[in-house]
Amino acid sequence: MTAILSRPRPGAGVANTGNRGAGAYLTYLLPATVLFGVVIAVPLAMNVYNSFTNWTGVGPRQWAGLANYRQLLHDSEFWASMWHSLALVAAMAVIPTVIGLFVAAALFDVIAKRFSPRVASLLRACIYLPQVLPIIVAAIVWSWILDPQYGALNVALRDAGLGFLAHDLLGDPHTALLTVMAVLVWFQLGYPVVIFMAALQRTDPALGEAAEIDGATWRQRLWLVTVPQIRPEIYVVLLTCTVASLRAFGWIYALTSGGPGVSTQVPSYYSYQSFFTNLDVGYGSAIATVMTLIIVAVSVVFLWVQRRHTA
Amino acid sequence: MPRKTTGLLAAAVVALAGTLAACGSSGGSGGTSSSSSNVLKVWWYEGNGSAYQIAWDQAIKDFKKQHPGVTVQFSLKSFNQMQQNASMILNSSDVPDVMEYNKGDATTGLLSKEGLLTDLTPEATKYGWDKLLSPGLQVTARYSPKGVMGSGDWYGVSDYAEYLTVYYNKDMFAKYGLPVPTTMAQLTSDMGTFVKNGITPFANAGDDYMAMQYLYEMELSQSTPQDVQNYERYTGAVNFHDAAWTNAVATFQDWVRKGYIAKNSVSLTATQAGNDFETGKSPMMLSGSWWAGTFESEIKNFTWGTFLWPGNTLNAGSGGNLFVVPKNAANKTLAYDFINDTLQPDVQKLLANNGAVPISDSTAGVTNPLNAQLIQNFQTVASSGGLAYYPDWPTPSFYNTLLAQTQDLMNGASANGVLSTLQTDYDQYVNSLG
Repeated sequence: MTAILSRPRPGAGVANTGNRGAGAYLTYLLPATVLFGVVIAVPLAMNVYNSFTNWTGVGPRQWAGLANYRQLLHDSEFWASMWHSLALVAAMAVIPTVIGLFVAAALFDVIAKRFSPRVASLLRACIYLPQVLPIIVAAIVWSWILDPQYGALNVALRDAGLGFLAHDLLGDPHTALLTVMAVLVWFQLGYPVVIFMAALQRTDPALGEAAEIDGATWRQRLWLVTVPQIRPEIYVVLLTCTVASLRAFGWIYALTSGGPGVSTQVPSYYSYQSFFTNLDVGYGSAIATVMTLIIVAVSVVFLWVQRRHTA
Repeated sequence: MPRKTTGLLAAAVVALAGTLAACGSSGGSGGTSSSSSNVLKVWWYEGNGSAYQIAWDQAIKDFKKQHPGVTVQFSLKSFNQMQQNASMILNSSDVPDVMEYNKGDATTGLLSKEGLLTDLTPEATKYGWDKLLSPGLQVTARYSPKGVMGSGDWYGVSDYAEYLTVYYNKDMFAKYGLPVPTTMAQLTSDMGTFVKNGITPFANAGDDYMAMQYLYEMELSQSTPQDVQNYERYTGAVNFHDAAWTNAVATFQDWVRKGYIAKNSVSLTATQAGNDFETGKSPMMLSGSWWAGTFESEIKNFTWGTFLWPGNTLNAGSGGNLFVVPKNAANKTLAYDFINDTLQPDVQKLLANNGAVPISDSTAGVTNPLNAQLIQNFQTVASSGGLAYYPDWPTPSFYNTLLAQTQDLMNGASANGVLSTLQTDYDQYVNSLG
């Protein structure tokens, strides 16, 4: 009883050291705060300001109000780039997540058990390998492979007597975006596979075994038992991949430059072109600002849905 | 709040304010270079082994002989580095004394308009550059207060010229018994023969500057010098639906349809097109005189030559990139001396003998007949007032627009739609000039 009475009141200690503690925390937060300000907050604020101006990047800015945003509304290239962004969300987030889920489950449940965990690890490493490559390097190699004249793909098709299938995949507006999407699926797949395999390690095997005894098929166990357990990881993968796809730049820069025509144009590359080659910094800033807002909105929605489903 | 924390926060505020000030200083006058007075800082972005690098190295040697106490600090930059950062660099206090920069309204014109470059007009008279450079070459050296080329003060000096020419494979022409074409009818006949033999006559790059250059040469075939001035210098209305442009897009699409230009060159780059010519896959390539040095050193298994686009009086071409002197340069007098050295006969001869086109019209001392022919062809165009600059110069966005539109043309897009897009983009920029 004495011990209980002599125990400090809850919160008393914190209250006593409250001012000192807050100050100490601020000190520790300071480097990150300064870094955030210098690297993110200030450039973001300047970008937003620039979007309300006409500016070539040299000399004084001219206040333009909402003119750049009004122009965006009527710019067919911008809207085309937004649609292409949705295609990239499919290629970098949706498709790799779905395929990644099946591949991870197959490696975890089938390969690891029927062969050995080492084989599963080896295959996982192979699938993850593209993620280790710098984007520009991988994109340049793919541009060689897809070269209409000397590329490995078209040469192989011709050598195999399938010359009628040889095609300038990146030069045809009907196939360029699909080809870029296919390359992105190849590149992105390793990321969800690794995350989902790690997630599967923490699932309760008893639940799966119970379902198996009850007669559930592998697909039913995956969908009804495993997926609900790894839902947080699925949300994380979808969120990070969606944000990455909305910012996709290097692949377009190295593979197609947004072409042919504007058939693979995306907002990030369009913004870059406006900034550096069209010397229309205000317009490029407006595109970047809109994309920032979209990415923030997508992130907030994802986090809200995640919290709701995992609470 | 503890004093220590307050101090750190104050430091952060100062750091942020400093960053803001640094970021926002682009419109300011900047400081002056802190370089020593016996150092000349030179920047250019022409690659090692190019005719320009060989010639300009000689200019540095000449300069050092004339200025024994002066150290030359040379830095090789990349084109993208200069294109994307020039304004930031020129606004800083650490600027070169003399640097290579692209000619044209969107580059040197823009920097001159914003007061970032030194007016070289007095030096042009003093050193006699206004006599050395022909009127055609002076166009890209002079800029109006609005930054439009062709008139006003001198803001740069070219020591070489460039133009579009047709490179052709002499061995392949001989194999099929074809004459070197001097008319469009002959060229069309030659192309027909190549196509019949399964050969794509012209190497092309749709994902680079080449396709738009074919289109421009076709447009120039029905254009007048006044049309060129209107298009490039906004001296009059430009109608992309006129006979010259309408004919150009129709001819371009016809050539793609007939296989004179490969349809599957839409996604190719200029380097890949150059490879197609070098490997003999295509017997001709229309491109800039800047390829000559590369072909001279890399093509060993066949003979080649050049000829002008048949039937044209007007031909794409201009003075080369400029040497400019930043406003904040520390040693401008040394910079002027260096520029003058690049125009001297020994440097000009090195340019000529390594596959570039010097500003001098003399071919004396030019040992390689390929180079002599290259220079003579340029003089043919320049002396008749036929230099028509380049198609992507009129607006900063025209390179991207023309590239996308020529790709669309190759893929069978409506010619009328393409011309309307060009008109809209062009008018939008010209109207913004006021």
